[in-house]
Amino acid sequence: MSEDKLLALALVFVPLSLVSIGGGPSVFAEMQQQAVFVHGWLTQREFADLFAISRAAPGPGVLLVTLIGWQAAGWVGALVASLAFFVPSSLLVYAVARVWNRWRGTAWHTAIEEGLAPIAVGLVFAGGFAILRSENAGYAGWGIAAGVAACQLWRPNLHPLILLGVGAAVYALAQIAT
Amino acid sequence: MAGETMSPNAGAPPRPQPGLIELFLLFSQLGLSSFGGGVSAWMHRTFVEQRGWLPHTEFAAAMALSRIMPGANVVNLAVIIGQRLRGAAGACAAAAGLLVLPGLAIVAVAVAYRQFAATPMLSAALEGAAAAAAGLIIATGIRMGRHLVGASGGTSEHALRRFAAAAIIATVFLLVGVLRLHMVVTVLCLAPLSIALVFLSRPSTDPGDVGG
Repeated sequence: MSEDKLLALALVFVPLSLVSIGGGPSVFAEMQQQAVFVHGWLTQREFADLFAISRAAPGPGVLLVTLIGWQAAGWVGALVASLAFFVPSSLLVYAVARVWNRWRGTAWHTAIEEGLAPIAVGLVFAGGFAILRSENAGYAGWGIAAGVAACQLWRPNLHPLILLGVGAAVYALAQIAT
Repeated sequence: MAGETMSPNAGAPPRPQPGLIELFLLFSQLGLSSFGGGVSAWMHRTFVEQRGWLPHTEFAAAMALSRIMPGANVVNLAVIIGQRLRGAAGACAAAAGLLVLPGLAIVAVAVAYRQFAATPMLSAALEGAAAAAAGLIIATGIRMGRHLVGASGGTSEHALRRFAAAAIIATVFLLVGVLRLHMVVTVLCLAPLSIALVFLSRPSTDPGDVGG
């Protein structure tokens, strides 16, 4: 029954929302396990396709959740899975953000923010590096990344979409040429 | 290298009040533009660099928080930014902006994918976009880091603080990026150290008995 399926979607994604410490990818494997093997909402091949689509489409990669819900139970499934995954963790973060901002201006609050800032910057570099490594991008990929970074630093007002478009075109041409 | 920082840290940041629809549309726009990843790089560009709604340090701290909490990092960051700018309604507008239209778009892409499947040309272009997005992320890291490390002038305490920030940035990158240690564990171990370094290098204040 369809209602059972919607309930099952909620029961899978609500707990995953609350344990996804570190971000969406930390629970992708468990999502696959539940969606493919436990509930049979989609095949392994379909899961791989949806994962590829979530990487390719614009927006957060975590919209993979929406795609799984859609594949399982159409538009209503997409809605239920999205709400189940995004609402619980967002409520938690909202509560933390509220408390956090209430203390703004105190000395220890400032110190914590200034202490967290360099950690975030290190994570940003690690994130960029991780993309390049997981894409197995080769010299062309590293070259494009370096070129884009240089352009963005040199001309901050240049729209990033232009850089993404040029990067995509250059990389595709380089692949054809080799 | 021309002057790009507008003001050297005003003491109390102004409380801008962007409209809720404006917030929704801005988050929709960056959600729909961020091919290949790097949504947080787009957020930094939009909210810190272009509009100045959040100071650099506050954005960076929000980013660190968004990554160690449960939930998708960029959704968490949107909630924190929305909450800061417009309270509960702002958090809803920001998260909805990031998810609703991009969510509809991704289903449309999935439908199209079934018709056309992936041509080698298309997947090569997507790999290129991901590499370019990595470049955007790295540029964002350099901008954020320059703000923490590269500020000019200041006392020896300032110099010490900048050196500590550079060391923390390098350590986090090495542990998480290169050695691939667990991100949350690494952050939870290094955060107290980094915060203690801030306390110890506080200018014109007695460090007191930190660390006992």
